[in-house]
Amino acid sequence: MTSVLTLAGVSKSFGAARALVDVDLEVHPHEVVAVVGDNGAGKSTLAAMLAGVHQPDSGAVLVDGEPVRLASPATARQRGIAAVFQELALCDNLDVVENLFLGHELEAGPFLDEVAMERQAWELLDQLAARVPSVRMPVSALSGGQRRTVAIARALLGDPRVVVLDEPTAALGIRQTAQVLTLVERLRSRGHSVVLISHSTADVQAVADRIVVLRLGRVNGVFDADAATSEDLLAAITGAAPAAPRTRRPGAAPVEGGPR
Amino acid sequence: MCIVTEVRTDRVTPGSQTSLREANRARIVSAVQQRGSLTQVELAGTTGLSPATVSNIVKELSAAGVLHTAPSTRSGRRAQLVTLARSLGLVAGVHFGARSMRVALADASLRVISEERMPLAPDHRADVGLRRAAMLVEEMAASVEAGAGELLAVGIGVPAPVDVRTGTVSSAGLLRGWDGAEVGTELGATFGVPVGVDNDANLGALAEARLGAGAGYDPVVYLRVSHGVGGGIVLGGQLLRGRRGAAGEIGHVTIDENGPVCRCGNRGCLETFVGSHVLVGMLAGRGHLTLADVIAGALAGDAGCRRVVYDAGQHLGVAAANLCNIVDPEVVVVGGQLAEAGELLLDPMRTALEQRTLPSAAGPPQVLATSLGAWAEARGALVVALDLARDRGTLGVGV
Repeated sequence: MTSVLTLAGVSKSFGAARALVDVDLEVHPHEVVAVVGDNGAGKSTLAAMLAGVHQPDSGAVLVDGEPVRLASPATARQRGIAAVFQELALCDNLDVVENLFLGHELEAGPFLDEVAMERQAWELLDQLAARVPSVRMPVSALSGGQRRTVAIARALLGDPRVVVLDEPTAALGIRQTAQVLTLVERLRSRGHSVVLISHSTADVQAVADRIVVLRLGRVNGVFDADAATSEDLLAAITGAAPAAPRTRRPGAAPVEGGPR
Repeated sequence: MCIVTEVRTDRVTPGSQTSLREANRARIVSAVQQRGSLTQVELAGTTGLSPATVSNIVKELSAAGVLHTAPSTRSGRRAQLVTLARSLGLVAGVHFGARSMRVALADASLRVISEERMPLAPDHRADVGLRRAAMLVEEMAASVEAGAGELLAVGIGVPAPVDVRTGTVSSAGLLRGWDGAEVGTELGATFGVPVGVDNDANLGALAEARLGAGAGYDPVVYLRVSHGVGGGIVLGGQLLRGRRGAAGEIGHVTIDENGPVCRCGNRGCLETFVGSHVLVGMLAGRGHLTLADVIAGALAGDAGCRRVVYDAGQHLGVAAANLCNIVDPEVVVVGGQLAEAGELLLDPMRTALEQRTLPSAAGPPQVLATSLGAWAEARGALVVALDLARDRGTLGVGV
């Protein structure tokens, strides 16, 4: 199976700090790839790179096997990659519909097509089985889980193929965590690929197909989620175990420099 | 649900003296509690009491705040719908599956107030799971503005045989991470209320027999076909549990004496033919698949997925036929995730079952799909919790 999105030997430094070193990542269609790691492992840098916020210093980003330069979030979106970050970037004073369509409102002649936007908003939220009391409620009145749902729904508007979720369950209660994890499963069954970035191994094991462990900017193991135990993951996250032999699927892109 | 069948299962000649009034009250509360909501006419049919007696007792109990009546219609006629009053408190039902947990919160009339599903890691552990379940129940209770004392009892379903007397998982090796887990004791200490623990397929069987597709039938056999395969048998309204809760474990019935070795350590169990990892494994080379992907593929017409589901149905039919020849049930209800494939699974299952059951004047047992869906086991857990609350007298009425 060809991958939708590939990072091949990607490195990124901020001054002397090496955030990512020679990282390989593959995302197949219809798959949830989890990226786990300790604080400072490079998870958020990776997310920002996939979303077009940062550009790699070296290495290549490939979409459908074709090298691309994700110069900005807009370019990434055009390529079918949408991201939801920890801080969500919702406007508290606007309602759900306004937030979803902010910047690309639907128009009917000289006016905004409120009816079409509201209908699309409901359709989208229904598909996600999201429990939002009203799409005309200001976002400030929603719970943490509902706000995250709105942010994810907004990422889905252009029907992206890859959705990058950066710490979607951080700072959520158990009930909202349950809702977000169920939502990730639903994204997968709708045919999206999901890159799920998290530091909670329990959450990640619940929904991921494959788990990539980052440690100090390097890939320290790729696990099949059905076979990996939480001990395996913790050992790879903390560095107690050396890098496991990397499992590579047939058809994977050749990697510059090869495996260490 | 038709009244005639309800009469058959529940009708016991009621006492005729006024001293039996207390017993009649209890009978009415029990009937409302079991069915969730009933009209007064249905109550009369179910309990065998006269409509006038029912009307009097309902009026009396409504005034006492035990029952709640609301105007409704049945077959175009006005009727009084009777439910238990919400002030009687809440019960929680928790169902642990192989890959997810479902929690439902209901009032004393089994009306579900809140439900939540949470995906779980493969081979999840008892301690993590129980802690998450406890937090989820507390958060859900808080969200319906229930006070601390309102939770009356909790029912828990676990996908392994359970010794219900101690609330302990009694199998070894079937559910790694849960072997010997003292579920009842641990959650009892957390909540401070009675906790009932049972095998999840048993709970599904109880729910289907009381509230779902098996209502009005006896005996009822329930098969839960999901990541693993479980079964429950309801005889005369009671669950058949056996010595340590392993009765009805149809997933470990031998299909092929020389078959592959099962997770239980034996060979050729039904689960080695229809367990989710086996079904998914048959479609190797298609990337990482889940059971849900296989079902979706079969429903969308994918030939490979259909074949996998078809074969699973046949194997289930063979195993179920063996069980039917022993129990002779009126109905076999099929639930669990694989039941979402509907007739694609049930058709081959019926055929295999009919070929292998003893011919009877009544025809082969009916094979029906669950009518409670993925929530059957959680509903069963609610039923167990409510029964517990009633037995301990915390519902406020002695029954």
